[in-house]
Amino acid sequence: MSEATFQVPVGPQHPALKEAPENFMFSIDGETVVDVKARIGYNHRGIEKAAESRSYIQNIYLVERVCGICSIAHVATYTPAVEEALNLEIPPRAKYIRTIIYELNRIASHYLWLGLAGHEIGFDTLFMYLWRDREIALNILEQITGNRVTYAAFTIGGVRRDISSEMAEKAKNGLSILEERMKYYKKLCLNEPTVLKRAVGVGILKPQDAITLCAVGPLLRASGVKSDVRADDPYLVYDEVPFYVVTYGGCDVASRVLVRCDETLVSIGIIKHALDRLPESPIRVKAPRIVPPAEVVSRTEAPRGELIYYLRSNGTDKPDRLKIRTPTLANIPSVCKSLIGGYLADIPIVLAAADPCFTCTDRMAFVNVSNGKRWVWTHEQLRRYSMKWHQQN
Amino acid sequence: MAPTELIITLLQVLIFPGIIFLLGLAFVYEWVDRKFYARLQNRYGPLHTGPSGFLQPFADFVKLLAKEDITPQAADKPLFAATPILLLAIPIAALFCIPMTGLTALVSFEGDLIYIIFLSTLISMVTFLAAWSSTNPFSIIGGLRAAFQMLGYEVPMAIVMVCPAIAAGTLNISGIVAKQGTSGLWFILSQPLGFIILLICLLAEIKRVPFDIPEAETEIVAGWLTEFSGRKLALLRLSIDMELVFAAALTTALYLGGPAGLAPIPAIIYFLVKTTIIVLIMSNLRALFARFRIDQMVHGSWKFLTPLAILQVILVELAVG
Amino acid sequence: MAMQRELLRNLRKKPITLRYPFERVAPPEGLRGKHSWNMEKCIGCGICVSVCPSFAIEMIGKGLTAEFKVYLDRCLFCAQCQESCPKEVIKLTTEYELAAYNRDQLILEWKRPTKSESTT
Repeated sequence: MSEATFQVPVGPQHPALKEAPENFMFSIDGETVVDVKARIGYNHRGIEKAAESRSYIQNIYLVERVCGICSIAHVATYTPAVEEALNLEIPPRAKYIRTIIYELNRIASHYLWLGLAGHEIGFDTLFMYLWRDREIALNILEQITGNRVTYAAFTIGGVRRDISSEMAEKAKNGLSILEERMKYYKKLCLNEPTVLKRAVGVGILKPQDAITLCAVGPLLRASGVKSDVRADDPYLVYDEVPFYVVTYGGCDVASRVLVRCDETLVSIGIIKHALDRLPESPIRVKAPRIVPPAEVVSRTEAPRGELIYYLRSNGTDKPDRLKIRTPTLANIPSVCKSLIGGYLADIPIVLAAADPCFTCTDRMAFVNVSNGKRWVWTHEQLRRYSMKWHQQN
Repeated sequence: MAPTELIITLLQVLIFPGIIFLLGLAFVYEWVDRKFYARLQNRYGPLHTGPSGFLQPFADFVKLLAKEDITPQAADKPLFAATPILLLAIPIAALFCIPMTGLTALVSFEGDLIYIIFLSTLISMVTFLAAWSSTNPFSIIGGLRAAFQMLGYEVPMAIVMVCPAIAAGTLNISGIVAKQGTSGLWFILSQPLGFIILLICLLAEIKRVPFDIPEAETEIVAGWLTEFSGRKLALLRLSIDMELVFAAALTTALYLGGPAGLAPIPAIIYFLVKTTIIVLIMSNLRALFARFRIDQMVHGSWKFLTPLAILQVILVELAVG
Repeated sequence: MAMQRELLRNLRKKPITLRYPFERVAPPEGLRGKHSWNMEKCIGCGICVSVCPSFAIEMIGKGLTAEFKVYLDRCLFCAQCQESCPKEVIKLTTEYELAAYNRDQLILEWKRPTKSESTT
């Protein structure tokens, strides 16, 4: 019976993967997961290529749409990269406003995630309540930036809109409600027996495995490893606000839930602190259109983990190469490892506990179906092939 | 039988309190469940079809009837087509034995409690057959889970259903109801533990949260229901509602005295009020808990429910003397 | 059982769902909605065309007689055109109910006002 494993495909269409098509082929023996193979690539949109034919300002809006939930993280990693290439220093008020919007986005993202996690274990009431409370965060963002998602708030050289004092007051009131609700949900998750039964001891990822398989973000911090870009490599104003890295040692789904709850509370503290201390200064500086040749690597802590951008400019107003390494891509091997040995019923919650954002993840690889060979092309090979194709067609 | 008696019996079986009435009750209780569940979650529930969304379950049924009915090529076609009808017929057949309009049911014979236990087991087995005949990995997992779940709840449920029979001295449901009516003491007051265990086991039988494991939406798409579409899905959804009616009616008859109550108000009103209260309790439980895993459900059932059920039986035996 | 009190409390509250379109919430004033162009001030420089990330603005003609077509079905509502315009011609209003039955209804045409004849 041990070789007769059952193949269950999860994805590309599956209710557990609410946001994105990916394929995980599980080999199940009874109800235990024996093996899992991940296949990505259903959602490849060619954003890195599209970025090469648009100017730096247009790329802000392109990059914002890599992911809908953590959209500001992409902009907040891209704009410092361009500003570094231009050798531009943004004014302090812009830094504070950027931090505020970034942390508000993190709150919205974690609230969304907690609701989805509740839905994956069948706890629809938690899902409904959390998404109702998330509206408060989205309304604050709409007041400040003009839109609930895809904020278009940053620009090269600063931010586009200022935060007035009435907006700050409304934001602080909304944040107090959010803080109280998150404390309630954290207490609830720790006390509700059905949630604990589904989350404790499920999806174990040992710290050694997490480091070897390059996990990032809350997945890593829930295994007790203290690693956060905001602490290791502070950007914006994280060295001036009350910020601490949240880790839990449980290595299971319950720890990941608690890490995100606590991160939300930390974010609310940061925003309140920042709103009280907005420095008086202009909100943007003028940025030249042409960027001198440079190679920049910029990284920030997106809600899902460490986000890395590599930018190469060549002295024109369009980038030469933009490479995006999203946190979910780094987390997939760790997720596969934590799924093996668990139950079939745990698959959705473990997948969801890594907070996958598959839209950001996709990569392309070549597979020769007849002989099973797989390979990846370098940038040069791809360019040569595309030029040859254009000549022939 | 005289012709008028025959006609009256036929009308009773077909219309009230027979098939049409039960079908209507299924739609009404689905509406009650959805509305209450939504209000607990701070949202509206069905709203626009009919006053306060009353006709929504019926609208869903009619819509499904109009949809395309696809049968997978590898499926076992006769079984695939027959199981929705069977799953609708079995709860209706069981409901005929439960008194609704008076102290005697439409069908009443000594031992019809055992007949109902048999029918509830049959529901689980036909669910498994429905899943197996779909030949879809998700359906098969759902069907297997339904079978496992039956292993968990079957024993405590049977034990706890027999406790009122011991206290009433008869295996006839109408007799149990009559005993509660004449003595005025509903069995929930003398056997509260049995009531709670029966409620939990019935939730597991009709596959509602926290025990909707065979149908877990986020894990195995729709579980055992996955391949059904169109008319078959309409009948299946109606059968799920009918099972809710059956569970609520059974609890009412065994523990809450069925339609027994004070004189001037007709018995059917008492029955409906009590059954609605049970449905509201079940909706509340649906909003309150997350879903269990199948191994946790079976372990918990054997570790907690069965010993408590045996304890209840011992207490009842001691009380009866 | 931990959520029972919260559930019962929610029974007494009014549902949070907004019964759109019967109930509407006023959008905040910074909302980036439908375009509104003041063609009297436009000098036809074409900066908006080159800055738009999704190439949604089309300029017909040049200079002071230029006319514009804005393709709302391509527009991102990022307001970069509003920001880059040197003469403050473009303004994004708070009108967000922009659904239409076919794509032609989503093309906005901005022509020169006929009263003030522009010099050729």
